[in-house]
Amino acid sequence: MKITLKLFATFRNGRFKVAEQELPEGTDVRQVVLGLGLTEEEIGIVMLNGRHGELDSTLSHGDTLSLFPLVGGG
Amino acid sequence: MKLTEEQINRYSRHILLKEVGGKGQLKLINGRVLVIGAGGLGSPIALYLAAAGIGTIGIADADRVDLSNLQRQIIHSTPDVGKAKVLSAKEKMLAINPELNVVTYETWVCAENIQSMIADYDFVIDGTDNFAAKFLINDACVLGRKPYSHGGILQFDGQTFTVSPGESPCYRCIFPEPPPKDVIPTCSRAGVIGVLPGIIGTLQATEAIKFLLGTGDLLHGRLLTYNALRMRFREVPIRKSPKCPICGDNPTITELKDELDALTVCDLGH
Repeated sequence: MKITLKLFATFRNGRFKVAEQELPEGTDVRQVVLGLGLTEEEIGIVMLNGRHGELDSTLSHGDTLSLFPLVGGG
Repeated sequence: MKLTEEQINRYSRHILLKEVGGKGQLKLINGRVLVIGAGGLGSPIALYLAAAGIGTIGIADADRVDLSNLQRQIIHSTPDVGKAKVLSAKEKMLAINPELNVVTYETWVCAENIQSMIADYDFVIDGTDNFAAKFLINDACVLGRKPYSHGGILQFDGQTFTVSPGESPCYRCIFPEPPPKDVIPTCSRAGVIGVLPGIIGTLQATEAIKFLLGTGDLLHGRLLTYNALRMRFREVPIRKSPKCPICGDNPTITELKDELDALTVCDLGH
């Protein structure tokens, strides 16, 4: 299956802004995160097809997955 | 209670707005808002709330003004370096608006003191710079059913949303647990563009003013994110999570505790 993966803010450094990814059926968000060399703890917001998603969310063909880092300064 | 001639003059540009008027300005004057953090976010929040005539403003921070703060913490000035941030902030707020009651708390918020602190206010604003405080403020406000505005900034990115406990999703509906210490860089380590807290803090102050007026739509169920480099705002729709550990169907958090593992900046001051 094919998904569109969008990265935001510092996640783009050394990676990409948007990419199409070919993934095995049943892949979840956590596997995509780890595949990017990121850890679960670094993930702020998971957005799946414009809605708030979770690391456990299973991806489907045609999904758009957006990952935002945590922002905790002030 | 009636507005004085001087107040009518001072707040005339508010009073002209049909959403505010004399009645709305009186609501602001009778309003009580607690600002936690007198740093990057807290600076514009406190200044705008003071200018708007919010009658009682609490401001909490244990830190002292450092030269490296002045690139973004616009409530403090060069002669304030070394001064307690809450005192420096109070002086500027009263200089803008001498009628205000500014209550200072020269302390870090912690599980022991936060509940009694927020109890005196109508609305709370999170302007803190670490996850331990952000989770604590969320938990205290949810348990105390106190509406609050969340704000966060780092480098060129910011985010904000407003929580009305029981009505709208809370911080833990999105982020169930704080990240372990040192996983996420702070502004002091990773940097922050100076204007960023001005943007996010001003949005937070707007929410407090709208809340007191009872007008408009609050940032409920929508996390507003901002990237200064791309000059782009986005909204991430969020839902109340049935699994949320504090406002979900089977909450596991029923009392406050300090997230010691998540301390980043505050621990320097303890």
